[in-house]
Amino acid sequence: MNSEAIAISLDLINRHYQEPNRNRYESRYFWEELYPLIAAAGFSTIEMPYEPVWQFGGRTGVPFNEYCVNAKYENAANYRAFLKENGIEAVTGLTFDPNLFMRNDQIDFFFGATGHFGSQALSHAAEMGARYLAISPSAYYGRVAQYHPDIDNRMDEFAERTIKMLGTLAEKAGELGVTLVLRNEYWSLFGGERIIPIADALQDSVKLDVDTASLFVAGISPARFIESNITRIGTVHLTDTDFVDKDETWKTPNPEFPSDQATQVYRDPGTGSVDLAGITGLLDRMDYKGPVICSARQTRDPFRALLRTRALLKTLSI
Amino acid sequence: MPNIRYANMSHWKTIPYKQINNFREFYYEDKTNTAYYSDWDTILKYQSALGFDGIEIAPWDLADLVPLFGSAEDFAAFTKERGVEVIGMFHGAHASHDPAHYDEAIRSGREAVDTIAKFGGQYMNTCPTQNYCGTGPLSREEVQQCAKVMNEIGAYATDHGIKIGLHNEFFCAINLPNHRELIESTDPKLVHYCIDTAQIAIMGEDLCTFYDDYHDRISTFHLKDTASAGQPDSVRYAQDPEITDDGKRWFWEPGLGNLDLKGLYRLLKKHEFKGWMSIEYDGSPDLLASMALTRHYLDNELRPIYD
Repeated sequence: MNSEAIAISLDLINRHYQEPNRNRYESRYFWEELYPLIAAAGFSTIEMPYEPVWQFGGRTGVPFNEYCVNAKYENAANYRAFLKENGIEAVTGLTFDPNLFMRNDQIDFFFGATGHFGSQALSHAAEMGARYLAISPSAYYGRVAQYHPDIDNRMDEFAERTIKMLGTLAEKAGELGVTLVLRNEYWSLFGGERIIPIADALQDSVKLDVDTASLFVAGISPARFIESNITRIGTVHLTDTDFVDKDETWKTPNPEFPSDQATQVYRDPGTGSVDLAGITGLLDRMDYKGPVICSARQTRDPFRALLRTRALLKTLSI
Repeated sequence: MPNIRYANMSHWKTIPYKQINNFREFYYEDKTNTAYYSDWDTILKYQSALGFDGIEIAPWDLADLVPLFGSAEDFAAFTKERGVEVIGMFHGAHASHDPAHYDEAIRSGREAVDTIAKFGGQYMNTCPTQNYCGTGPLSREEVQQCAKVMNEIGAYATDHGIKIGLHNEFFCAINLPNHRELIESTDPKLVHYCIDTAQIAIMGEDLCTFYDDYHDRISTFHLKDTASAGQPDSVRYAQDPEITDDGKRWFWEPGLGNLDLKGLYRLLKKHEFKGWMSIEYDGSPDLLASMALTRHYLDNELRPIYD
């Protein structure tokens, strides 16, 4: 594995939660200052979340959707050129999760909005030259349960509609030459190995994501998951954690913030307990050639996280 | 009881915890100040300690807030236990100028009123329609349509014990040429006005003149300062001007801009204003510091004029 080819996810910017100085994340200048710093930390490729929320309310400084990119750069080609001038050679892929749309008891609204913006994310991925769209097939279990308290009895219905929606997206992904990858976060209706039946019901072109910390939190060995599914793995997210979910935190409305015991679930890569060296070694031995992305989601300090991640990669034999 | 009670318009981004019981342990995980901005219990302590007895919530926070607490009522009870009451919520009356969106605008407005009632609030500060860019200039008929929607929502709100207050942003399609036309086209018994001191000044209204002219319509305030009054059309009508590309701030803590806030307080005294005033810190890099600076300015400069 070539560490130069490993991307960094821009989910390291804490744009949704409170902290001093957070407001700058909504201005264009912050991002344009960030790109060369990413390059200086040794990353020439990035992954970007696709977040429709920024097009509502005039916050187009955050370049995380088609509307915002067009507002600030006129089109994706200009934005890609700007990234390149600043040391970012490529956008490896995009991620998309539908939590924004689980906000009422209207199941049609959820699937309609998720399908609509998921499709938009695919088009944007193609325009950005991205290889994949990694999609979270469900909202937080706890948030679904807030609006659908009978969710446990309606899993078949949710699964059926999810498969139908993903099938449509997979078809479009195929036409665009973008790989659709399914995420299986520990908080999902389809977390961990519960994603397998969903993937089985979809086209062979649909791949699986490995998020090492998310599997660790769920009590699943990332190495075993990789070994069992190597032929269908589309992306690997090197994430770290010290947290193991023993009290069904995954079922709470805010599962990345365990309510009984405050903790930073996702630690900066290299500062948690996931055996990232073992995992990268395994990927090499299994001749995995797909995208690998480092993610410092929830970091307290994005600039320290960039360097911590680079420092980690230097210690790995990749 | 003072004539003016002070609240904060909540500009906290998502606060992920209700209450952190392992504060020291959480702090030591990474030794940063994240622990100080991660739970509502702590946030409300800041408010209470600095004498802000009310909180005005933002509709964009509901998707996180309601599941975190279970219900609007549970959040309101939680704040009340900590000495802070929910006084109301902001509302954006999207597309209210457009007859094709009449039903949607009314439904959305009524739903917002219902939500505020669940929180126990009494104000719905309402931006009359969306941004100028892509929408304006509005025709006279569209301004009247907007007024019709405001009257209709205002009637529903009044029936539910809630006052709607027009709240104009400097970049809204209702703007300097039709701002007063809209106010005067609404029913004073049903539609009130929330003065956002900085927003209307940036738009081009003189703060003190505007308050003097419309003092009998004013239900509440969003109090903040600006050093950018009277911006030209090219700024106000631009795409997404609120969050600037270069980080320029439109809004400052009272006393850090150049609005005549002391003049405003002399007029508040003249007209014997009684009610809530929300402080807004949108654009601040440090909401807690802004809250403390504001309290200092209130106590030393403004409250001596009128309290």
